[in-house]
Amino acid sequence: MALVLVALAAAAGIGLARSASDHGRQDPVRAVAAGLRCPACQGESVADSRSPIAVAMRQVVADQLAQGQDRDEIRRWFVQRYGADVLTDPPARGVRLLLWGVPALALLAGGYAAVRTLRPRAGRARPAAPSMPDARGARRAWRVASVGVVALVVSVAVAADRLDPPARPVPADPVAVAVQLAHDLETQNRYDAAAQMYQEALRERPDDGVRLRLAFALLRAGDSTGAQRTAREVLAREPDSPDGLLVLGLAQRTTQAAEAATTLRRFLAVAPAHPAAAEIKRLLAAQPAPGGP
Amino acid sequence: MLGDLGTASLAVGLACATLTALLWLRVALFDASVRTARLGSTATLAAAAVACALLETALLRHDFSVRFVAENGGRHVPLYYTLTSLWSALDGSLLLWLLVLGGYAALLARRAYPPRLHAYAMVVVSVVMLFFFALSSFAANPFRPVSPVPADGPGPNPLLQQHPAMGVHPPLLYAGYLGLVVPFAFALAAPLAGRAGRGWARMARPWALVAWAALTGGIGLGAWWSYAVLGWGGYWAWDPVENASLLPWLTATAFLHTTLVRGRAAWHSALACASFLLVLLGTFLTRSGAVASVHAFTDSPLGPMLLGFVLLAVVVSTVLTGRRAPEPARTGRPRALSRPTLVLVNGVLLVTIAAVVLIGTILPLLSAPLDGTRVSVGPAYYQRTAVPLAVVVLLVLGATPAMRVRDRSAALRRLAVPAGAGLGTVALIGLLSRPGPAALTAFGAAAFVLTGLAGDLVHRLRRSGPRPGRLAGLVAHAGLALVAVGVAGSSAYGRDAERTLRVGETLRVGDVAVRLVGVDRTGGSGSMAVRARLVLTASGHAGPTITPALRYHPARDTAVTVPAIGTGLLHDTYVTLIAVSEDSGSATVRLAVNPLVGLLWAGGALTATGGLLAAARSARRPAARAGRPVPAPVAVGSGAAR
Repeated sequence: MALVLVALAAAAGIGLARSASDHGRQDPVRAVAAGLRCPACQGESVADSRSPIAVAMRQVVADQLAQGQDRDEIRRWFVQRYGADVLTDPPARGVRLLLWGVPALALLAGGYAAVRTLRPRAGRARPAAPSMPDARGARRAWRVASVGVVALVVSVAVAADRLDPPARPVPADPVAVAVQLAHDLETQNRYDAAAQMYQEALRERPDDGVRLRLAFALLRAGDSTGAQRTAREVLAREPDSPDGLLVLGLAQRTTQAAEAATTLRRFLAVAPAHPAAAEIKRLLAAQPAPGGP
Repeated sequence: MLGDLGTASLAVGLACATLTALLWLRVALFDASVRTARLGSTATLAAAAVACALLETALLRHDFSVRFVAENGGRHVPLYYTLTSLWSALDGSLLLWLLVLGGYAALLARRAYPPRLHAYAMVVVSVVMLFFFALSSFAANPFRPVSPVPADGPGPNPLLQQHPAMGVHPPLLYAGYLGLVVPFAFALAAPLAGRAGRGWARMARPWALVAWAALTGGIGLGAWWSYAVLGWGGYWAWDPVENASLLPWLTATAFLHTTLVRGRAAWHSALACASFLLVLLGTFLTRSGAVASVHAFTDSPLGPMLLGFVLLAVVVSTVLTGRRAPEPARTGRPRALSRPTLVLVNGVLLVTIAAVVLIGTILPLLSAPLDGTRVSVGPAYYQRTAVPLAVVVLLVLGATPAMRVRDRSAALRRLAVPAGAGLGTVALIGLLSRPGPAALTAFGAAAFVLTGLAGDLVHRLRRSGPRPGRLAGLVAHAGLALVAVGVAGSSAYGRDAERTLRVGETLRVGDVAVRLVGVDRTGGSGSMAVRARLVLTASGHAGPTITPALRYHPARDTAVTVPAIGTGLLHDTYVTLIAVSEDSGSATVRLAVNPLVGLLWAGGALTATGGLLAAARSARRPAARAGRPVPAPVAVGSGAAR
């Protein structure tokens, strides 16, 4: 019996050794890629992920293998570029030591507790179990506990009020989003795209404020005809709109300089305190009035 | 209208839960009427049930004025997935959570236990209940109105509309999680109840067994869902949310086994508390948006409150159970090779595995405040730590049946045959193929366990005839061994290939091949789909046509791969459609052959069945158990275990 067991153990040892020694059996690219973490995915290795970055990384691995680099050299190359976190099992350093320290501690503590549980120990006189609390103690416990229970509810209510931006914001107004987006585009000097967003917003909800913004965007995008047309739409409803006059006048400067000056003077007359007024005055002064001497 | 009723039901529930906690406290402190307190527990359950029913009604009636329906309902969603969408997002799933918790509370309220222990345990359960009711009404009320009322909704996340397991997996998992509140409540109540608290572990055991069986089933179904829906061919990714379900399972397993042995009160209370605290921690991880995961709910503001409650629960349970109850004296040396010792060893190992999984799961959260880096922990870590530990657990487990014999050399002799089987398996498989050391030892350990269990079964049948009630442990352990074989086999021998095929071309893996016959495009109301028609050929025989698909859900702007899985006795063929060319003339297809995956599901089902058998037995015969002689040799001679 024992002999059979020993023979089986030996055979099992050989089997294990054979199984452990042979890791090059699989595709070498896959073997290296399995040790690299796909930076764009959740917990997937480069070998398993289908994201474009993983595909590119697999290609790098294949190239370097073809150049005769070995597994460790390739891993080092990746670590230099992307940091140790690119490895699926980075070396235990710094905070990563916890990954081994905490389980080791648990094993030690559990083992110690188990030994203590198993060790025979002298019987201790068991102290009397706490009896029913007396009436005064019970009343005190009742007061403390009931206040505690109510405090728990109140604290959740207060915390929910403080911390809670509505769980998910009410779906935002698409027009407002479009206008905001267009505004952001303008600050990035992408006036074409901004104008498009404004037009999008106007289709949903006509609004002269937005129309004026569109006119400015068109003007800056170089479409002065479009800017003029849009500004006139506004002026048709509100002949004294300062911004309407301003953008119309500026737009006219490229095509009809004479009318531009007239429009801009009207703008100055309507809104002498407008932030752009000073600039316009300088502009008009630099450019002699049409029909003047 | 429905929305107002729902909000009202949550408010009523919160009031009932608060009142119930106070009523039970009066029972504990002043011997007040139990009947009123019981009524309170029932009323709280009723409020939770009404809230769930109202939200289901709103979903079914497509009442988009209710926020949850506007966000997760949809006219195009089939009836079944409309019903399941109650738990497809955070706020609705909290209602299901409340319903299950309320169910446990109401059931526990109706049972008879030593009065003060019972009352204090009910206080604990009621406080947990009132916290979640408060969370639901103040921070995650699904009934809040929406204005303007949309005409249609996007429907639940498309991934949650793919598999019928969606209807069973979350409720089962919740039944598992929340059942653990009962041992937790007993553990906290015992030191408060004084003398009445002794022997609480035996009373908590049936509850823990039911919860454990449900949790086992829930984890198994989750793995199955992941395998059948996510399309990557695996079933377990050591993803934070999967880990969150594994953590309480590990400590609950240890709890169940230590309760088999008397006189280990400190272990009982530590493990019972740890199990439910890990459930709460898991809730925090899953519902706060703290971790990135496929299963996690999106960002939500519940995080700080849940974390606060976890910390409160940790402090309370440490304070209450920290005062070690004096244990009865022991005399005589314990034997190193005995069932209680081995059970204790496995308890320590299970706790160590739980520590591995816990630190691996939360280190990414801790690393940012600790040293400013964003550390990620992948499967490689668990394969080097948790997997070897699990193999050792399996080996220890395999040795226990032989320890029924008191005589040491006889016990060792009974181990010879299983050891021979295990070593023989390792030798045979190791010489015939190269699965890698971890899988090879797992095969050997499984053979060791299964042979030992078979020997034990024969022995027991010969001695006392068939008594199915007593086979619970055997069934559960056999299931675990099968799961080990399934995991080792599928990870060691799985093979796959991926290629772009033109119509008529063939992709081959081993002796399995698929030939692309055509590509179909269909447009439905709620989704558009592309299907590849492929003929599956196994060892030369042309088989059925299979149709893996890519489904696009415009309402959520997401595409979902629907794999075609051919289930076989020895291996599954797993075909995923990855991409299709514009002209439908070619398709990129991944073909994987996953051996022994079937064993995983069978083993999981067997393990859960074992848990249920044990639960039925321990619930049916509480008196008989109490009267049984102490099974632990270490406690022999104390005579004062009660």
